[in-house]
Amino acid sequence: MEMRASFAKKDAPVKAALAAGMLAFVLWGGLPLVRHRRHDMPIVKGPGVTAVLRLSEFSPGLEGTTADTNIFVLQGREPGGKALLMGDTHSNEPEGMLSAVIVIENGIVEKGTLYVIPVFNNSGSRATRPGDGYPLYFDIPTDWGTRRFRFGNRDASPLDQWPDPDVYIHYPERQLLSYIDVRNTNRTWPGRADGPLMERVTFGAMELMRREKIDVAIDIHGAETMFPVTNCIVAPESSVKIATLAALTVKAREGFENHVEPSPSGFRGLSHREIGDHGPSLPFLLEAPIPFLDQPTGPKTVQFLLDGKDPFLLSLSKKKKLFVPYDETGWPLEKRVGQNLSVTLEIFRQFTKKTADRPIALRGVPRYADVVKEGVGKFLADPSKAAAGGVVRN
Amino acid sequence: MPVIMIAYYVITAFLLVVLVWNFVREKGRRGDLALYLLVMIPLLLRLLRWK
Repeated sequence: MEMRASFAKKDAPVKAALAAGMLAFVLWGGLPLVRHRRHDMPIVKGPGVTAVLRLSEFSPGLEGTTADTNIFVLQGREPGGKALLMGDTHSNEPEGMLSAVIVIENGIVEKGTLYVIPVFNNSGSRATRPGDGYPLYFDIPTDWGTRRFRFGNRDASPLDQWPDPDVYIHYPERQLLSYIDVRNTNRTWPGRADGPLMERVTFGAMELMRREKIDVAIDIHGAETMFPVTNCIVAPESSVKIATLAALTVKAREGFENHVEPSPSGFRGLSHREIGDHGPSLPFLLEAPIPFLDQPTGPKTVQFLLDGKDPFLLSLSKKKKLFVPYDETGWPLEKRVGQNLSVTLEIFRQFTKKTADRPIALRGVPRYADVVKEGVGKFLADPSKAAAGGVVRN
Repeated sequence: MPVIMIAYYVITAFLLVVLVWNFVREKGRRGDLALYLLVMIPLLLRLLRWK
């Protein structure tokens, strides 16, 4: 008894020191994550924005959750077709979100109506990838300073949807998918009103498309240079003609490659498959090459995210292991965003040519050459100079 | 919050309490003290809803 008491006495200061060290470690590692999760990005309502809706208006199960997000409406002066643009389906592919923000802050719709969801997976954009050393934010230089954006994860945060199942059973096809895909908003389409949170997100977008009779839905992503489905437009049978014409036109007129990949009918849950199968819209999924996502690279720094330069990928490129051309210039953000914007505008143009009674026409949005020459920051507005009520936090 | 998520938070809290109890009761084996604390970190982060 005495011996035990003496051990306890001797251990007490050690235990206190170790516990204090652990708590300090938790605070040091945890507080930046808390700040990141609570950090709202300002998005300036551009001259073409006529309304801002919430996704929970179409999927009430999202109300009050971190998965709810903003929908910017740009209604044209003349009636016409309707289009939906989504970024940040995967929040570690930020060129989609940046393309959407540029459209919101610069675009003016002449004909038709455009719905833009810049941060589709709001929960994922407030999380980070464990073990990959991802930055929590990235800053884009502009003429007036820098603009900060959250850098998120591919999947929703487990703080919002937990636990994961052993296997994700897709609804409604019942295809067995990886457990992690239950938090992946590009596997949970078409979703359901009372399903897991990410199914409610995709259900909200499906309801928007069904209720508003959206003609064209564009989901903007980024893909690894070592992944075969990269630098392309993924389209199902219904959209493939417009996608092909858009790909050929941007190659001929703007000089960049963006081939068409068919959407596989047997792989369920993806936007380019389910949107067309369960709603009225023609789906397109844009993939710009993002070297940051590749695995055999150097540190995942903000600089690498922005310029896409990596010596390991360069070496692999020389051995012809990549699916895109890659040299010392990397694959910078300007190219990726510019490519997305040009292809989006071209899809609208081709749709309008094919369906003249439902035109979609917008101006003010820069194209590939403009973004490559001027940089992404040139087309980002200064939130501090916006009019009262002109900034929406997402 | 769905019922299953609440159940997982309860399980997390229970495990954390067990670990804290073992940490307090541990005598002599200092290596084990560090291990108890290491195992507590993810549980604590989840319970605080930080990660």
